[in-house]
Amino acid sequence: MTMTRPVIVGAGVDRVDGPLKVAGAAPYSSDIDLPGMAHVALVRSTIAAGRVTRLDTGAAEQLPGVLAVLTHHNAPRLATGPATNLGPTPPPPLQDDRVRHHGQYLAVVVAEKPYQASAAARAVTVEYEREEPVLRIEDPAGEVRTDPFGMDSARGDSAGALAAAEVVHEATYVTAENTNNPLGLFATVAQWSGGRLTVHDATQWTSNTCQTLAQMFGVPESAVRVHAKYVGGAFGSGLRVWPHVVLAVMAARTVGRPVKLVLSRPEMFTGVGHRPNTVQSLRLGAARDGRLVAIEHEALQTVAMDDENMEPVASASASAYACPNVTTRDRQRRLNIPCPGSMRAPGEAQANFALESALDELSYLLDMDPLDLRLRNYAEVQPQFGLPWSSKALRECYQVGAERFGWSRRDRRIGAMRDGRWLVGYGVAGVSYLWWQVHCEARATVGRDGTAYVRSAATDIGTGTYTVMRQLSAELLGLELDQVRFDLGDSDMPWSPQAGGSGLTGALGNAVHAACRELIRAFLRTVVNDSASPLRGCTIDDVTVSGGRIHHRADGKLGESFVAILARHGLDELTADGVSDPPDPQEVGLAPAGAFAAKFVEVHVDPELGLLRVPRVVSVVDGGRILNEKLARSQIIGATVGGIGQAILEETVTDPRTGRIANANLGDYLVAVNADIGEIDVTFVGEPDRLTPVGTKGVGEVGLPGTAAAIANAVHHATGKRIRSLPITIDELLD
Amino acid sequence: MTVRAFEYVRADDVGAAVAMVSADPAAQYLAGGTTQVDLMLKDGILEPERVVDITRLPLRGITADDRTLRVGALTTMEELAADPTVAGRLPFVRAALLAGASTQLRNMATIGGNLLQRTRCRYFRDPTVPDCNKRTPSTGCAAITGAGARMHAILGAGETCIALHASDLCVPLVALDTVVRVRGIEGERRIPLTEFYVLPGDRPDIETVLRHGDLVTGIEIPLPPAATRSGYLKVRDRASYEFALVSVAAALTVQGGTVTEARLGLGGVGTIPWRARAAEQILTGAPATVQTYRAAAEAELRDPFTVPGTAFKPELARRTIVRALAELGGGEA
Repeated sequence: MTMTRPVIVGAGVDRVDGPLKVAGAAPYSSDIDLPGMAHVALVRSTIAAGRVTRLDTGAAEQLPGVLAVLTHHNAPRLATGPATNLGPTPPPPLQDDRVRHHGQYLAVVVAEKPYQASAAARAVTVEYEREEPVLRIEDPAGEVRTDPFGMDSARGDSAGALAAAEVVHEATYVTAENTNNPLGLFATVAQWSGGRLTVHDATQWTSNTCQTLAQMFGVPESAVRVHAKYVGGAFGSGLRVWPHVVLAVMAARTVGRPVKLVLSRPEMFTGVGHRPNTVQSLRLGAARDGRLVAIEHEALQTVAMDDENMEPVASASASAYACPNVTTRDRQRRLNIPCPGSMRAPGEAQANFALESALDELSYLLDMDPLDLRLRNYAEVQPQFGLPWSSKALRECYQVGAERFGWSRRDRRIGAMRDGRWLVGYGVAGVSYLWWQVHCEARATVGRDGTAYVRSAATDIGTGTYTVMRQLSAELLGLELDQVRFDLGDSDMPWSPQAGGSGLTGALGNAVHAACRELIRAFLRTVVNDSASPLRGCTIDDVTVSGGRIHHRADGKLGESFVAILARHGLDELTADGVSDPPDPQEVGLAPAGAFAAKFVEVHVDPELGLLRVPRVVSVVDGGRILNEKLARSQIIGATVGGIGQAILEETVTDPRTGRIANANLGDYLVAVNADIGEIDVTFVGEPDRLTPVGTKGVGEVGLPGTAAAIANAVHHATGKRIRSLPITIDELLD
Repeated sequence: MTVRAFEYVRADDVGAAVAMVSADPAAQYLAGGTTQVDLMLKDGILEPERVVDITRLPLRGITADDRTLRVGALTTMEELAADPTVAGRLPFVRAALLAGASTQLRNMATIGGNLLQRTRCRYFRDPTVPDCNKRTPSTGCAAITGAGARMHAILGAGETCIALHASDLCVPLVALDTVVRVRGIEGERRIPLTEFYVLPGDRPDIETVLRHGDLVTGIEIPLPPAATRSGYLKVRDRASYEFALVSVAAALTVQGGTVTEARLGLGGVGTIPWRARAAEQILTGAPATVQTYRAAAEAELRDPFTVPGTAFKPELARRTIVRALAELGGGEA
């Protein structure tokens, strides 16, 4: 159709939801107010392990405005939620007296006003039987799960190759726990009405929230409708159905009124996931000429007591470089901590720091430019399967990046570059992002007024889904942007996967592509025997669309408008559904490629005071087809900022005695602010991916990994200090 | 949000306000509220039964003569930062104000409130932590064995409390021998800022010499000689909007290569805004060289109280002192 020479797609169209958002008119779930709505406050555990022996709600129940107090004594029993491709749903809350982590919900108060609910929540007294919590990743008391994702891999003989290798580098790398901290506080508004449930939620996945709530509360999915029209950021924290969502639904059913629950910032640290910390050991073996002969990557990460978290770390190293002998192992240590979950580039963000730091260290052992070392081991084919990549322009990423950054100006000697008092360091890292794609559905309609309405249950978490899908729909139907409405964020719409794993744009784009093609087919079917139509007897391969018309490929005049067809046949509209499913790599003979990127970073270090600044980051990204250059660039900029935060600032601090998160607010948990960010240069390279009709690869996450490693590598170049633990802070940089 | 019901009263008159709060142990003054409202509504640490809003009292404004700058307690941080005398004669006060808070906060926060700000200690600010001597005497100190201990004090600290006084503004003020004007039920007093704060000792809950009901009405800042150079150096991981790991406010007068007057305050290290008198003694009369600065820094940081998380801070403080002094007095850093 028209994707070979797109007109609307690719352009830097402003986001269509922008005006609503800046005017404060975009209704986030926390903005939803319903008549008769009550408010919910949560009581959280102040110990990390043990049992609740007494829960006194009497005083709370007597307070003004209080409608109900729910605890494990009186809360309804719930079924467990479904397993998804991210693992099982977190266990339903208030089902027993066990305390698994500090901050676990122990009671829910429903009151007329938010402040009444808060006051009553404080009046609930809890007594515990304490157990010794297991809190540290090194603690042998914590159970270890081996190969928790079934993704451990081995090819060749890495141990033998390491033993025989001319050069070996071995080191341990540590990454801190990070908390997603979207700006928008998560909120759930729940309303039961005649056995039907309506929920407004901050979720990245309405279809799953619908299915989960239906299963937990024992009602058919058709009786549950989940809205998420606008989500104030999530970074992965909205991928699962967290206990507070369940509690809001439970509270609404109990009091028979709509209720609203808005998490506080401290509650956002314990209730909606976080990036688990890791300890990773890397062993690299190489020949003197720089060829990798062995990679061994073992990663230990944390997981909560009764939960699972899909976070493959080490496995990312299996496909990053051409190397015949590779072993990767993942393990998880169970701790009394709040449930970890996905945070932008889950697993990859930690793994890339270790692998790309280790590669930098190896380059010094080999006395080789770190960029040359990466190019020397470039994976021309997918190294696990030996199949050609569906697309890969990582070499171009390195080349363009080196040029834009000025890598050739790098003096290889450590500490040789200065800017006044500051030591200057240059660092590089490569990123081979995973490919992830799942089933998705969309529906497209064209009506008598000539406009189109396309929709899917997907979510736009601030990434630009509304905008790019409107562009794509307009392109595929030959309409102007303002003739198309794209809607999402409603589980009653066709099923969509999560906005996660950098997979939504691909899955949804291909579903929209299929729906639009089906819709054109439906128009052609309508006129197949219509002697009045110049399109009579045409198949989709005979035609194309532009200016609101379907016409012959060869002759633009030979055709007619959607409106004319509908009018002549007395139809108000035509609608068609489209689905997309991931292709089978073996069938097509290609290894599906995710996005690739190269990161070049300049750091300045004041070695006397330990100050570290990052004045410049150059990112070059192969993201396949870019649907909207401006929004894609924004994704890379935002992810780079997140990467800088991971590298030099962000650390969720757990008190070692109590398991309390000691910095659960935005004053003490440091995210990068404007003053931390210098020049961020973003360039896209590469071609549309061959595997799918639209050819996108997803750019939501690829901008984050690589940042921390490139910064650590640059710090080493500047100072000679090799920091193998994130974040890199002043105390580690003091000479 | 955790709200306990309280009565709100707006005061129109200084005397009446002081009388009202003095007579009621459960009453508190409210001015800019930038710390207090957090502690009341978000953290649930402060639970006044009556809040007396003093923002309408005539305690706002700045006047200067040749020797003294007088600042009303309700003057905002932003107003003080914008004052021409501050910019011209007290550049390190201006620098500390700008480094101390965002514009939004500076527009709300008052000078009197800044003096009386509470510690940011993560253990003090969470009422679910039972062991906090500052909140409840004789319960212990969870922070000493806690994690993430970088933002704790190393001077004036001890086993009972390591909570930091996190003000930036007070660091140059304490170096300048600022005087605090206080109105109490028995009349007005003038208290040197160097004697205003109390080390934690056995009673970390007692932070100043003020009695309940005393109202800070203003401060008087002696203006340094015209030849004095001053600077404020704040060291932190985040480039802005973070409290100091170490900060140094220094004012030096150097004549013919000799330090004739030195004023030095330290932030990020003390349980109170720290006047570095030991360092000043070594500096005064000594050659303006890095050797002198280092000796002064060593003297001031001779006996720090550290926990594992703050073990790096004494050396960082020494280096920050040397850097701040070298930037003012030369002598090659």
